Amino acid sequence: MQPAFPYRIKGQQLWLSPDRCIFWEEERSLILSDLHFGKTGHFRKAGIAVPQSIYREDLLRLLCQIQYFQPRQLLVVGDLFHSKENKELALFLKWREDFPDLGIRLIEGNHDILHEDWYKKAGIEVCSPVLEIGPFAFIHDITDESVEKSADPAADGRGIVGTPYYFSGHIHPGIRIRGMGRQSLQFPCFYFGADYAILPAFGLFTGTVSVEPAADAQVFAILPPSGERGWAAGERGRTPGERGTAPGERGMVHRREAVGPAVSGNMDRRRMPMARPWSSGVKGPGSILQIQ
Amino acid sequence: MAKEGRVPFAFQEETWQYILEGRAGLVNAPTGCGKTYSVFLGALIDFINRHPDNYQKKGSSGLQLLWVSPLRALAKDIGRAMEEVIRGLGMQWQVGIRNGDTDPSERQRQKRRMPEVLIITPESLHLLLAQKGYPEVFKSLKIVAVDEWHELLGSKRGVQVELALSRVAGVKARELSIIGISATIGNLEQAKEVLLASLGDGEGWAAGEVRHFIVRAQIDKPIDVESILPDEIEKYPWAGHLGLRLIHKVIPILEKSRTTLIFINTRGMSETWYQSLLTACPDLAGAIALHHGSIDMALRNWVEDALHEGKLKAVVCTASLDLGVDFRPVETVIQVGSPKGVARFLQRAGRSGHQPGQVSKIYFLPTHSLELMEAAALKSAMQEGLIENREPMLLCFDVLIQYLGTLAISEGFYPAQLFRELKSTYCYSEMTEDEWMEILHFITEGGVALQQYDEYRKVEVMEDGLYKINSRRVAMRHRLHIGTIVSDSMLKVRFVSGGYVGVIEEYFISRLSPGDVFTLAGRNLEFVMIKDMTALVRKSNAKKAIVPSWNGGRMPLSANLGMMLRRKLDEASRMLEGSGRTGEGLAMDEQGVNAKRKTGREGEVAIVGRKGIDVELRVLRPLFELQAELSYMPKENELLIEQIETRDGFHLFVYPFEGRLVHEAMAALLAYRISRTVPISFTFAMNDYGFELLSDQPIPLDDSNAYELFSPDDLTADIQRSVNSAEMARRKFRDVAVIGGLIFQGYPGEYAKARHLQSSASLLFNVFSEYDPHNLLIRQAYNEVMDQQMEERRLRNMLERIAAGKIVLRWPGKLTPFCFPLKVDSMREDLSSEKLEDRIKKMQAQLR
Repeated sequence: MQPAFPYRIKGQQLWLSPDRCIFWEEERSLILSDLHFGKTGHFRKAGIAVPQSIYREDLLRLLCQIQYFQPRQLLVVGDLFHSKENKELALFLKWREDFPDLGIRLIEGNHDILHEDWYKKAGIEVCSPVLEIGPFAFIHDITDESVEKSADPAADGRGIVGTPYYFSGHIHPGIRIRGMGRQSLQFPCFYFGADYAILPAFGLFTGTVSVEPAADAQVFAILPPSGERGWAAGERGRTPGERGTAPGERGMVHRREAVGPAVSGNMDRRRMPMARPWSSGVKGPGSILQIQ
Repeated sequence: MAKEGRVPFAFQEETWQYILEGRAGLVNAPTGCGKTYSVFLGALIDFINRHPDNYQKKGSSGLQLLWVSPLRALAKDIGRAMEEVIRGLGMQWQVGIRNGDTDPSERQRQKRRMPEVLIITPESLHLLLAQKGYPEVFKSLKIVAVDEWHELLGSKRGVQVELALSRVAGVKARELSIIGISATIGNLEQAKEVLLASLGDGEGWAAGEVRHFIVRAQIDKPIDVESILPDEIEKYPWAGHLGLRLIHKVIPILEKSRTTLIFINTRGMSETWYQSLLTACPDLAGAIALHHGSIDMALRNWVEDALHEGKLKAVVCTASLDLGVDFRPVETVIQVGSPKGVARFLQRAGRSGHQPGQVSKIYFLPTHSLELMEAAALKSAMQEGLIENREPMLLCFDVLIQYLGTLAISEGFYPAQLFRELKSTYCYSEMTEDEWMEILHFITEGGVALQQYDEYRKVEVMEDGLYKINSRRVAMRHRLHIGTIVSDSMLKVRFVSGGYVGVIEEYFISRLSPGDVFTLAGRNLEFVMIKDMTALVRKSNAKKAIVPSWNGGRMPLSANLGMMLRRKLDEASRMLEGSGRTGEGLAMDEQGVNAKRKTGREGEVAIVGRKGIDVELRVLRPLFELQAELSYMPKENELLIEQIETRDGFHLFVYPFEGRLVHEAMAALLAYRISRTVPISFTFAMNDYGFELLSDQPIPLDDSNAYELFSPDDLTADIQRSVNSAEMARRKFRDVAVIGGLIFQGYPGEYAKARHLQSSASLLFNVFSEYDPHNLLIRQAYNEVMDQQMEERRLRNMLERIAAGKIVLRWPGKLTPFCFPLKVDSMREDLSSEKLEDRIKKMQAQLR
């Protein structure tokens, strides 16, 4: 198990896991986002041969997180499932049976299009569009207008002082780190702004979209495990219409997630940042690095 | 057959003879001398001979001639020319066109009654193979003609043609003739071999008899090359800057010639050129036009028609006008910037002066002063007939996977039989049984899966062993996907009031705000909004407009031209030393340049009377002198390495003159070798002349280890380990993944529905690398890198050349003329073009 990174906000103790989720100590809740379960199956059903073992890895990682933090519930801020029901979700149901006491609360995301009966069967409580617990509120896409409304203190009738602090997902945030000599790398990240946080996508079959952090935001990059020889290499900026070309997968260091300089449209592909061999040795756990 | 008083060329008669004998082969002829007729009339004569009594009345003969052409735009013109001949002979043949523009009702008509001649693109030919009952279509077929074969060869479209030919030959039990038409390339023999591979060695022909012919048109095509020389030489050259400043020298050229084609290397620059020409000479308004691949088809057709009719004084164009029918009014061609290869330069030159006996006149206009050296190199290369090869692609698994899907949705296939057919092609002749098994496994089982939780569905194996796609949805998606041309996602651009202008990259438009003005098809357009995957615009009178960029492939310098460049450098270096031929060269006057070129035979361009040093090199003398003063002028057997420290960090510049692709591989290799000794990070940039490594710490390269770092020893292993092969593979993977069907680009007009199937090539590359690293398509991407970029042979040749020669290390105090273009190019990424201009001016001032 990889060491988690302690972080306090609104008087609450959080633990940021390099496995792309947050443990909320006071509520004994594991907060995660954008798992996109069933995505590989959805692709495969359409004749697109994506390796399915990535899904098994996701389930396994989630299992490890649950065993380590021992949460009483999962708070999923959307996109728990990728699309329609398929056999991969049957595997999820089987996985679910091993945790009968674990609550799962899902804040509906744009991908969560399953029937309510199915959620019931899976023991998942669906909340939409916002769930509030203590000083926190949970929503899938922070840019939704509904946030504004519910964030309005006047509409807050439950006696919580001030606006809640939001946890969201949806965009699969990544942070770009630049160095001298035009070096640049991109990693998935936890983003803590003044009023809301954005979680990285938990699922590994997802890309990242780089975010430009506000000056007062705190950003934690999820670095890949050291040990493997990692060659960072270039990557073109995000192509719209695709969710994130910039990769940054846990445990995939050697999958070189560094990213080329942020470029204007006429980027050609001649210049690629490349090549920082991480310390050689055994593949170890990933880690959290505060960027700002 | 001598009709209307026209006398056939010798090569045409020769071709007809071969066609009547039932042979297959290759016709090598430049455009504009009746290459179409050489094959088409042959097919007609053949038909007449077979039906001497009723050839005029006989209708509904079924498909006789399949005409494969890479360009959609060509189809109409060729079809028209063919119909004219058919009418002239009073025959009943019909000519049909089938490509992406053919409407469904026409397709249906063709299904009911196949025309005798079908003009088709490689993609549409595959779509035909995706149709149930396709073998019936080919039953009556006698000849397949492949037009512009040199253009297809060496690309995946060429592989598509190979595959389709193998299937058609299979259906016809090889009772078929295939005839290719090609411009001159270095490897014509091989081109023929690739095209005809699936016909076999021609059983039934007497031993020693040659079944496969090559006909070479012996047509005089003298070419006159002239460089447009700047009045003053920019000692610090940078790409794109000089070209427009020479525009005043272009105007007189346009004036004295009937019609001029101005070839520009990129679509973005062609927009700029068009605007600048109008600004420089407002009289040209209405008499010049713009033509490139992103302009709407209707507009392009209009330009082409106007060209034919001689209504235009000049057309600014890109490679979009490289091919195709001839525009007879064109008298002059101007090439702006390096054409990167001899063959392309010749082809473009050949677009002018089409009348037999006329001179093809081409001007070379450099976009930076060093490019003048390329002009000198081009001339010498043409003189020596150094024309590039087109290397055929081998073992393209992505194209094969697509092809198998295509066959699986129509008639299905039996693996054993198909394997034999595939082995007969040039591309897949080396495919092993194991690889074949893997491919079959991939399309039926979909690689790594979780057994009972898997629902992979694509190709299914029927009870009798037939491989078939049964799902209608999968079949439909596959049909939408047939093709090997992968483009960035494009948006159509339309006026609010109606009327399409062209297409533009989604990436570009996503950065615009409503009200921003950009230029497309030579018009200033105000961006209004995006609606239904279309960018709506209205006309704008704004003075300033953003020039869009398209992410087109940049052509690398060919090896031939690279070699010639090094030789020119050598000459320049000796010129400075004042030794050898220099005196002679300096004494020589301009006559040496303008000396009349005697006509030569087609394919070998004779340029005589050129003695001593090229005028281009002499003009560049101040630049060379500065280079020598600040650093060094390398000779042919020397490799110059410059190390310079600037605010950005520590730069290492290397100048092998091998072309961009090889430099990329070389930079990766060198970076890898250096980083083995110390922990260090680099970024790099390259152009056709050299490459740059940039680091935040000093780069440990000096005379103690230079030869070691450039040693050819352990090359194979180092290439394999070389880091960046992964990054290069990642970029290749995009095309591979689209062609291989991993990336679904959506249904036309149904964008949203495919949303849950969207993923990026980069993400897929990561996922496969981690979870299925031996996947065929990943391997394909790496193979392409190895074959095309890290091409071991070329790298090894280069390193051996370096090892046998001398490495010259210099530590200049400031930027040199050689490194300047590299340095400037690398800055480009952070700055907009206007600021760039200012900044460079400042830098140039600082340097003086």
